[in-house]
Amino acid sequence: MTLDELDPGRRARVRAVTGRGAMTVRLLEMGFVPGVEVALVKRAPFGDPLELRLRGFHVSLRRAEARCLEIEL
Amino acid sequence: MSQALRMSQALRIAVAGNPNVGKTSVFNLLTGARYKVGNYPGITVETREGRLRGSSSTAAPILIDLPGTYSLTPTAEDEAVAFRSLTGADSSRPDAVLLVLDASNLARNLYLALQVFELGLPCVIALNMIDLARQVGVAVDPEQLEAALGIPVVATVARAGVGVEQLTRVLDALEADPQTALQPRLIPPGPEHEALRTCLDALTTTAAAPARARWLLAAQAAGNLELCKASEAERARVDALEPATVDRALHELVGLRYAEVDRLLGSLGFVEHELVRDGRTASAPAMVVSAKIDAVLTHRVVGPAVFLLVMALIFQSIFTWAEPVMGLIEAGVTSLSSVVAELLGPGTFTDLMTEGVIAGVGNVIVFVPQIALLFLFIGVLEDSGYMARAAFIVDRLMARVGLNGKSFVPLLSGYACAIPAIMSTRTISSFKDRVVTILMIPFMSCSARLPVYTLIIGALFVANERVLGPFTQGGLILLGMYLLSTLSALALGALYKRTLLKGPLPPLVLELPPYRLPRVRDTLRQVWDRTADFLRDAGTIILAVTIVLWGLLTYPKVDEAELAPGETAIERSIAGSFGKAIEPALEPIGQDWRIGIGLIGSFAAREVLVSTLGLVYGIEDADDDDAPLRDVIRDAKRESGEPRYTPLSGLALMVFFVYACQCMSTLAVVRRETGGWKWPAFMLVSMTVIAYLAALLVFQVGRLLGYS
Repeated sequence: MTLDELDPGRRARVRAVTGRGAMTVRLLEMGFVPGVEVALVKRAPFGDPLELRLRGFHVSLRRAEARCLEIEL
Repeated sequence: MSQALRMSQALRIAVAGNPNVGKTSVFNLLTGARYKVGNYPGITVETREGRLRGSSSTAAPILIDLPGTYSLTPTAEDEAVAFRSLTGADSSRPDAVLLVLDASNLARNLYLALQVFELGLPCVIALNMIDLARQVGVAVDPEQLEAALGIPVVATVARAGVGVEQLTRVLDALEADPQTALQPRLIPPGPEHEALRTCLDALTTTAAAPARARWLLAAQAAGNLELCKASEAERARVDALEPATVDRALHELVGLRYAEVDRLLGSLGFVEHELVRDGRTASAPAMVVSAKIDAVLTHRVVGPAVFLLVMALIFQSIFTWAEPVMGLIEAGVTSLSSVVAELLGPGTFTDLMTEGVIAGVGNVIVFVPQIALLFLFIGVLEDSGYMARAAFIVDRLMARVGLNGKSFVPLLSGYACAIPAIMSTRTISSFKDRVVTILMIPFMSCSARLPVYTLIIGALFVANERVLGPFTQGGLILLGMYLLSTLSALALGALYKRTLLKGPLPPLVLELPPYRLPRVRDTLRQVWDRTADFLRDAGTIILAVTIVLWGLLTYPKVDEAELAPGETAIERSIAGSFGKAIEPALEPIGQDWRIGIGLIGSFAAREVLVSTLGLVYGIEDADDDDAPLRDVIRDAKRESGEPRYTPLSGLALMVFFVYACQCMSTLAVVRRETGGWKWPAFMLVSMTVIAYLAALLVFQVGRLLGYS
């Protein structure tokens, strides 16, 4: 499954980062590397973007961006 | 370079770090907030340079503040600037780097640190916010970190000024050492990193420094090789690589660096992953308090309500709170004019001084209250961490236009005044998206259009006639103009984003940093920087154009006795002749040459239409009380006896003002923010064309429908 399908409050482990180009590079460099634990904290009031927690900080991604992240529970 | 020469030259130290780590506070403390603000060549990312305060050397080291970035890979403008400064792509390379790291968030901050180590420059680390890290129990021991990295580490609390003296001493003791400068720390790829090894092997022979092969690789993967200033040979090598291999190599490279971060943290007694794995919810210790605040501020219902409240506060402040100060400035300018007029006695030079120079200076400083207030609010919102939440809440709406949440505050501010609004687009990191937002802002109905709408509605409509319940004709027309301006701004923004400034939807990847109390001195300093910036760069243009416009509306001078009955001096001026010359173009949109002169005058600022029309009709001080002018406009007749202005022509004129770029100050600020005349020229031409076509549509369709 991909990160955008995760339920709020749940945690998962990043399995792979798909896609290419600047967006993918940025995701990787923000710490979304395979093996890292990610939690979906909440969705924004209008449903998008998502608030995520990883490596001790919070970051927000759009669902379209979160779709580039394959996860395993 | 000889030893003697080196002694006399100040060391240049670049200050790098992630956003939200207190880098600005550290920089301000180290330099005593005495720094020069400049711009990186060609783009509008700001640079700040200042000398180390309290240095014992005669040539105190120069600190260069880089934009806050998470990485040095050039994925966007900010990173590109940091990357180019550190690698010396544009000018000479710095002699050393001061890395400001957030002690409470080392797991991410160390990634940038590792990239900087690859550059082979002497480094010093300021381990900032050590108090917060200790408080939440994630502080590493600075001495242990120093031992692990082999470079000086100073623990600091920039908010309170802790550790600054020690940091100053360490920086002051740095020497430009060619030996250390030649030892980049590169993490070697392991046998399993096949793609990375392939790419590095292919690139190392061409790239001048071994680290450069990695940058070229990362820039290629990000699709931004041009930002690396690659040579022909390098480009050829990079392009020869399989794209899939490049992508895989980048995954391996980033993974390698993060593995090193984890190894370092592990050796310091921190195992990030285990912290998460034992199921504790507080896996972001520094965010515990902030998460509680966010339970309210980004709550599904309360969040947007608070957001609206905050935006209303900003809007109200620049719309009305700045008003008394602006009134004072205007009154001051008027009394200064009369004092000067009295001192000099009547004459051309007096007119030049009062109506050109003093009025011009007034036109400039009248913006200062709004600019200062807006940047005070933006500074507090940015530094406290709320701005990231605001962008988080509103991103969904802005994404429809193709922009991210950061465009919201500038657009909203545009309702008050385009000048501070355009200046506030600097928080948007992509240049293209910044330009799209800048092009949208002048369509937002600013406060200077109000006197124009009020005059026209008052003169040509029955403003107080009730139409629907409590709503009057005047109120509804005004609402219509605001709606038209808002919808047009959004539609044109979406259009520009898809055509002229085509680019992908800017990625959000927005950190939601812990909430913090802003440091008042840094915020005020920022307000001052922005204001000074405006006065210096845009102010000079506004002053010059004011003088030119005054000349156009005044010369050639005519003797009052020469004027025909009903004729005013302004008709004989250059602007007057021009107004008459363009009348054939104005007739199709229902206007005459008198409005034409008004349009020329209103280029100084939209509300000047009122006083210029006053001059045309020989009414003094129309800008203080427009009632006599309203009557004259309402009663004005053509030679045929028909009314000169009708509700339809009034509507066409208002629609013209919704779209037209009748504001030289806007153009001056756009030139300043985009670094050239290209975008202001495009703005002026496109807005005027759109305004003309819209007014033409209104007037001609109105005529076809039987209105006169």
